[in-house]
Amino acid sequence: MKSLSRRALRESGQGYLFMSPALFVLLLFIIGPIFYVIFLSFHKVQLLGGASYDFVAFDNFARILDDTRAQIALWNTFKYVVIVVPCQTILALILAATLNAGMKGQSVFRIIYFLPTLTSSAVLTLIFMWMYNKNGLINNMLDAIGLPTYNFLGDPDIALNAIMIMNIWSTAPFFMVIYLAALQDIPDSLYEAAELDGASTIQKFMKITVPHLRPVTSFVAIMGLIGTFQLFDQSYIFSGGSGGPDNSTLTVVLLVYQYAFKNLGTMGYAAALVLMLAIVILVATLIQRKFSKEESLY
Amino acid sequence: MKSRKWMAGLGVASMLMAGVLSGCSSEGASTEGKDGEKTQVTLAGWGGNPTEEKLLKQTIADFEEKNPDIDVKLEVITEQYMDVIKTRLIGGEGPDVFYLDAFEAPALIETGVIEPLDEYVTDEFDVDDFEKPLLEAFISDDQTYGFPKDYSTLALFYNKKMLDEAGVEVPQTWDDFQKAAKTLTKDGKYGFGVAPELARQFWVAQSLGGDVVKDGKANFASDDVVTALKPVIDMHNEDQSAVEPKEVGATWGGEVFGQEKAAMVIEGNWAIPFLADTFPDVEYGTAELPTIDGKKSTMAYSVAYVMNAASEKKKASWKLLSYLTGKEGMETWTSKGYALPTRKSVAEKLGYDQDELRGPLVAGASYATVWSEGTNLPTITNNFNNQFLSAFLGDRPLDDALKEAQKQANSEIDSN
Repeated sequence: MKSLSRRALRESGQGYLFMSPALFVLLLFIIGPIFYVIFLSFHKVQLLGGASYDFVAFDNFARILDDTRAQIALWNTFKYVVIVVPCQTILALILAATLNAGMKGQSVFRIIYFLPTLTSSAVLTLIFMWMYNKNGLINNMLDAIGLPTYNFLGDPDIALNAIMIMNIWSTAPFFMVIYLAALQDIPDSLYEAAELDGASTIQKFMKITVPHLRPVTSFVAIMGLIGTFQLFDQSYIFSGGSGGPDNSTLTVVLLVYQYAFKNLGTMGYAAALVLMLAIVILVATLIQRKFSKEESLY
Repeated sequence: MKSRKWMAGLGVASMLMAGVLSGCSSEGASTEGKDGEKTQVTLAGWGGNPTEEKLLKQTIADFEEKNPDIDVKLEVITEQYMDVIKTRLIGGEGPDVFYLDAFEAPALIETGVIEPLDEYVTDEFDVDDFEKPLLEAFISDDQTYGFPKDYSTLALFYNKKMLDEAGVEVPQTWDDFQKAAKTLTKDGKYGFGVAPELARQFWVAQSLGGDVVKDGKANFASDDVVTALKPVIDMHNEDQSAVEPKEVGATWGGEVFGQEKAAMVIEGNWAIPFLADTFPDVEYGTAELPTIDGKKSTMAYSVAYVMNAASEKKKASWKLLSYLTGKEGMETWTSKGYALPTRKSVAEKLGYDQDELRGPLVAGASYATVWSEGTNLPTITNNFNNQFLSAFLGDRPLDDALKEAQKQANSEIDSN
């Protein structure tokens, strides 16, 4: 503490002063809302017409246990995460590996593969809804090759899968780019050595590429987890905000939206749901990190 | 030197903060009543089609001409109207006058954000002129909170050519209707384009005397309601004479009907201009809905102008509101038939009861059930729609589905 002279104090004071706009914005828009959500989740809140907050302790959390729709939402989200995250990660890895293999017209393919990422998710959903239409492109194609057609938009058994396919298609290219960057870092000498030992292409991929990409895979999986747990816009547009048909596209964030904005006086419950989701994401991330056994920076 | 640096830093920081804060501050205090200054009243609503928007602007222009001291600022909220309105009301930035759907009205009125209008009403305004059921949707505890600007009832739209070809008369009763739908179903075309949702099925659900909502709670699993709704499900799953628009690649009934994939649909006034614009070649007629058990019934959907209780310009707001829902304003607004007038005198003057297409819609107004039923209707509707669809698609029996939906709806209502 001896070094904390007047001068040092003044300097750090100046530092904070210059940071104050950023700190202020952080407090106001990030830290503040987090505490406000925690506060809300323990209250029954009516915001319209003279705000009222009644302390209800853990009632909102207890309500989640009774709420069938909350359980359906959680289950749907879970199914979605479990299927989408591995699929998009593997697809991204395969796409990146093929692009890195040094074939002709590689940069053209890179652009083509990356295109879906550039479309906004709302527009993408509308385009897919149009293609999923009973008389749309996908059903016509299925019909042409003699496969059964589906009511993708109206059938509860299929609607969520339709969203999954759409999302895998649109997010995989983004992670592909991350994999591509990581692939460039694997030294060629390893592959050359493996070749001398007589390794096949698949062996090289499995024994060199995949292990070297492990930190990146871990990153991609965690980002994928967080992104998919927060699925909202696609299912919102798909179902017109209802989570239908038959609650099949109801996700946790969509349910939170319904309680926060569609019903009056359930803001506190919505806050409790959102906290629960935050905890679920946190736990899932921790588990994922444990499995990836990688000392990493994120 | 040092202190100057301090000052500069402080200056920069405070300027930035002031910038952030000023973004949140509300606009200046009330300007109502000052001489020579115009009072600005904001009016918020959702967008309609271009003709509707033109009519509204015309009505507002007329009003401004008559009240030179008031300036009306029209705000069109195109998406998520109720979310935007609620958020703005919470933030204290709500419009002075805005649209409110009868369906959402009870819950919003209960929170106290809507100004009761009784003390403003004059004899000249003539409240008795309004169609009573429509007005009642906006009355709570003997206070009137809004005046309906227009409405639409449901009527049966039938394709003349398809009915002629099949040799089917326009059905008068619910039994005839089901038979007609069966006869009309052939060659990949369906008899009935149905919307499997509570808003459209409410009149069917209540037709045998059951209540969908009882004491503010969901009651749609009661025997009367389930029995009444059963034919709709059977038409889809057994006769296969009814089809949901999505199943044939359309978004709503008007489109299925226009594409001639369904010979009959039950739609409201909004389908008439849509068909004229998009499918002008379809020859169709309208009729009152088929009677169930010998009783006539239909739905009425209505929207009112209401005033923000927190408005600082209530006098001017009332002037605007009373002009828009008054005899003169309503006549301009409904003159092109995009909306039906809620005032009897205006309806008579414009002669919509004589209109070939709109006659059956107007006739329904006297016996229609208004789509508004207490504060919990949104929760009840949401749960009904979710489960009714699975019964409609044949995934499970109707009574099971509705029982579960009712349980869920009531547990949500109890926890709220």
